[in-house]
Amino acid sequence: MSSSTELTEKKVFLLKSLDGVIFEVEESVAVQLEVIRELIEGDCARPFISLYNVTSEILALVIEYCKHHAETCSGGTSATIADEDLKTFDNEFMNVDENILLELCSAADYLDIKSLFELTCRTLASLIKDRTIIEVRKMFNVENDFSVVEEKAVRKEFAWAFK
Amino acid sequence: MGSTMSDLSKKNNLEEIDHFDRLPDSLLLLIFNSIGDVKALGRCCVVSRRFHSLVPLVDSVVVRVDCVNSDDCSSSSAAPASGRSRPRSSDAGGLDLGFDQNSVLSHHSPTQVLKFFKEIRCLRIELPGGEPGIDNGVLIKWKAEFGSTLDNCVILRASAVITAANSACSSACNVNNDNEAEDDNGNIPESFYAKWTVSSLISASASHYMLQPIIAEHRKLDSLVLTDADGQGVLSMNKDQLEELRVKPLLASASNRTLVPSLKMQLWYASLLELPNGMVLKGATLVAVRPSEQPKEVIGSEGNWVASKLEEPFGTAARMLMKRRTYCLEMNSF
Repeated sequence: MSSSTELTEKKVFLLKSLDGVIFEVEESVAVQLEVIRELIEGDCARPFISLYNVTSEILALVIEYCKHHAETCSGGTSATIADEDLKTFDNEFMNVDENILLELCSAADYLDIKSLFELTCRTLASLIKDRTIIEVRKMFNVENDFSVVEEKAVRKEFAWAFK
Repeated sequence: MGSTMSDLSKKNNLEEIDHFDRLPDSLLLLIFNSIGDVKALGRCCVVSRRFHSLVPLVDSVVVRVDCVNSDDCSSSSAAPASGRSRPRSSDAGGLDLGFDQNSVLSHHSPTQVLKFFKEIRCLRIELPGGEPGIDNGVLIKWKAEFGSTLDNCVILRASAVITAANSACSSACNVNNDNEAEDDNGNIPESFYAKWTVSSLISASASHYMLQPIIAEHRKLDSLVLTDADGQGVLSMNKDQLEELRVKPLLASASNRTLVPSLKMQLWYASLLELPNGMVLKGATLVAVRPSEQPKEVIGSEGNWVASKLEEPFGTAARMLMKRRTYCLEMNSF
């Protein structure tokens, strides 16, 4: 395992999703997942790391995100251009349905990727912010568990929010 | 078995599962924290029981005030209006800043609205813009910090803002007319700065005064920013300053605002100031205000605290102005 060639080659790690799909990622990507950082640094990441809370669909997206961020930050471009590029990428990346967004948010929290977590929170918040109550319920499939009388009372309590 | 039709329709079909169910309360709360806007948060409370129980726990709230006339706007349906005679300390402590009512959109004061949120740490209040009486084209930016009273205030004013392309004479004028503001004795006449300095400070101290009930009610608050929609003035209080006000009540002036202590001020002036970004400030004047008796050490070197208060490009403008002659002035408490 610890041959001398390993030093010159790029280190890769294997991440296994909840549904058993194995992804190969470079170290620059893997270290962005704070949850496995210690495993990597302690060289305990062999043969693969199981990520029990993340499906392959979501893990693929997370890896795409981390990869782009790693490449942009290590590329030779100036900080302002890199910033612009990341902003564009992030906007594009968030252009998915709200179900995926919630999954990404939850995965970013579990994997401890701060920037992705904040990005998904902000995006979800703005989705909620500009919508009516009925739209929010519909969009996220939230059941209205108030009785008619209760809802009337709550609407009255928060009447100032509807002006 | 025991499951009714409604149970089945609720949970058994994967398609119909509440998407938020996969998020624990702590995560959902963090999303709510990113919403900020108090009205959007209020509407969220009506979405479901879970939302209703979580939303009031957010720690970050932004209140955009629609109107600021207490007589017309602050009494809600719950509290019968009684004009100015109602007790100050009650929930009717609305935003009484002496503005005219331009709408009756909000029938609830920020104090009342914020009652629903018990855990606020970070609060931002935006007042409507467009204070009447400001001349067209005049730039004024003030940033004031308060504890129990005024801690410091920085005011930048320019009689006009022009872009470099329109000001062919900039460098020449820059050298020649620098002392046009001085009188024969080389002093700055009071008429040159007093009016807008005092009006900024009155505006700041009135805002500070009306924040009292909110600060008293929200003990966890550790950052409070009040600003107006056109970004003219910003009042801020950090954790220590909020604590100071809680321990040591403010002194009020006769007109429902916090008494401004006697002040020492520094003033810098340039008839034309061209900024690196091409913006040219005409009659650029910077005033840095502090109480004559400052009990607290001011951190950092003398110049830094002034420039760091202002947003770019005005921080740069402040730094450039401060390389010029400094006029020292004093002002009595008012």
